[in-house]
Amino acid sequence: MQELHTLEMDMLNRFRDLTQLIPALLCLLSSTSNAEATKTALPDFTLHGLADFRFQYRDAQPGELENGLGKFRSGGDGSRVGVNEAALTLQSRLGWDWSGTLTAKYANRQVTPLDLSEAFLTYRPVSTSAWHVGARLGMFFPPISLENTGTAWSSPYTLTSSAINAWVGEELRTFGGEAQLSYHTATGDRVKLFATGFANNDTAGALLAWRGWSLHDYESTLNDKLRLPNNVGIQTAFPQQASLSQPFVEVDGRPGYYAGISVERPKAYAFRALYYDNRGKPSALQNGQYAWHTDFWSLGFKADLPWDLTLISQGISGRTRMGDEMHGQFAVDTRFWAASVLLSKAWDTHRFSIRYDRFGTTENDFLPQDRNQEHGYALTANYNLTLAKQHQINLEVTHSHSDRPARLSLGQHSTQEETVWQIAYRLFF
Amino acid sequence: MANRLSTIFLSLCSLTLAVQVAAATLSGTVESEGKALADVVVTATAAAKNLKLPPAKLKSVTLSLDQKSKEFIPHVLPVKTGTAVFFPNSDEIQHHVYSFSPAKRFEIKLYKGTPTKPIVFNQAGVAVLGCNIHDWMLSFVFVTDTPYFAKTDSAGHWSIDLPEGDYQVALWHPNAANPDQLPNENVHIPTQQPLHHVIELKLARQSGKPPATLQLEGYSDGF
Repeated sequence: MQELHTLEMDMLNRFRDLTQLIPALLCLLSSTSNAEATKTALPDFTLHGLADFRFQYRDAQPGELENGLGKFRSGGDGSRVGVNEAALTLQSRLGWDWSGTLTAKYANRQVTPLDLSEAFLTYRPVSTSAWHVGARLGMFFPPISLENTGTAWSSPYTLTSSAINAWVGEELRTFGGEAQLSYHTATGDRVKLFATGFANNDTAGALLAWRGWSLHDYESTLNDKLRLPNNVGIQTAFPQQASLSQPFVEVDGRPGYYAGISVERPKAYAFRALYYDNRGKPSALQNGQYAWHTDFWSLGFKADLPWDLTLISQGISGRTRMGDEMHGQFAVDTRFWAASVLLSKAWDTHRFSIRYDRFGTTENDFLPQDRNQEHGYALTANYNLTLAKQHQINLEVTHSHSDRPARLSLGQHSTQEETVWQIAYRLFF
Repeated sequence: MANRLSTIFLSLCSLTLAVQVAAATLSGTVESEGKALADVVVTATAAAKNLKLPPAKLKSVTLSLDQKSKEFIPHVLPVKTGTAVFFPNSDEIQHHVYSFSPAKRFEIKLYKGTPTKPIVFNQAGVAVLGCNIHDWMLSFVFVTDTPYFAKTDSAGHWSIDLPEGDYQVALWHPNAANPDQLPNENVHIPTQQPLHHVIELKLARQSGKPPATLQLEGYSDGF
């Protein structure tokens, strides 16, 4: 049994290596097809990307970048100007049925300055029947966000992602394979069932439990490390935990899965539901990283309404637990939930968006001194103007109100009001 | 060059058609919510008692359905049954056109600058065309048994040259809110009265055009 476990573990680690090999694989595939390319012009390559310059004015507590419990990625009082993010996405058609996508990005204070945020192959054969099959293989985002539909997972609506999507960007990524089966009706509706097996997502939940929900637009990368809060008892209660959480590692050798349904009609509506379970083994620990057993339900709904209005609502509810089990209780056992409603109005090249987020966590574990419960809400308002399809000016404000008792350990009030004003110029190409 | 030739060819065919069968011109306009509505297909079907009508001697006309800037042009193409439709590719990239509509199921791989065999639409109905590579691309080939049909222009105007007789005039639009209740009426030719119709549209913004920004056009998550 132990041998089997070791073997499985070995295979999963190899899978991680495989993800790193995808860029090389893409190049290899393209070079082997060169002879045919003269006739078919396949594979072809397209390069897209973004550069994102920000001015921020913050009135907020220290965030993830400062090992704090603030609700934004970075806190403090005052302003900051600089490059927020730069990303390049290389897409290649490897044949009529296969394509490859690679996104490499730089972001302010990213641990590995240039790193991959997605690297996957897409299989999508054409179909002349109502049934369509498809697949994704590699490193990609689970299909949860209905807002992050732009270049390098950016959102056309807001700079700051919702609490749910900020967490998806930060701690969730699929390293595995996803199979899709969809039925297209004559009226344009598409019903899709999908199921995915994945690895390398065992620490998902660590930041959500220990730091709590957050509002930002940072997507973790393949070799990323995220900062955990200091001086709130984590290091005392879990001395073996490294000071940085690695979001995309395999700890317990047990693959996870998610499965769901999507019903949509392009430019009309979309509904998505999925159940995710990383099947983490809560007692497993490797290289300072615990496996967190995280499972949740995710629901999303999007509707294109009259007057160029778009409504997007998402909800998530789940549980994450970690550490040894004693008398039916875990060292950390946190239930989490969040919901958001976004209303956006497009008017020619202008777009106005407003989003309301509510979020919370509760805990029921045998280490109450490690306080992980919280609740709060946030409001985000954004105006953007896109010129010549690619130059986008954004004005945005996000205000968060949250209560997290763990802040008392830092000498802060449990309840905090935090605000960030942002002006962004984003270039898409 | 090929495009120009096919345009000239089309013009010649239309001219021939006009000389052969014109007796009277039936025309009309279509609007939706007070605005002119383009891409409405109008068909005139001869009534059964219309015995003095000479049989239409139409050859199948070759039309072209073009791809430019990742968009099907035209968005709506009415053709008579048996018409062969060519699919030239004016883009620098590949397209993979397909239809799973019962009226015509097909797929066609379009390389840059490589001519392909035409697709013959030999069954009446609507073929919804998509591109397997560019999800937003959308076109409708309206295949009809009658040789008398037209499509509204950007001013919502249409006209059909018809021999004398009784006809059933029917309208169709891909984005109609109530496809089963579209205008359908009997008309006697000649008539001096231009027709006017109003069509209510669905809310869906299915334009078949690329997304408005590069932020949205340049990304696909593969889902």
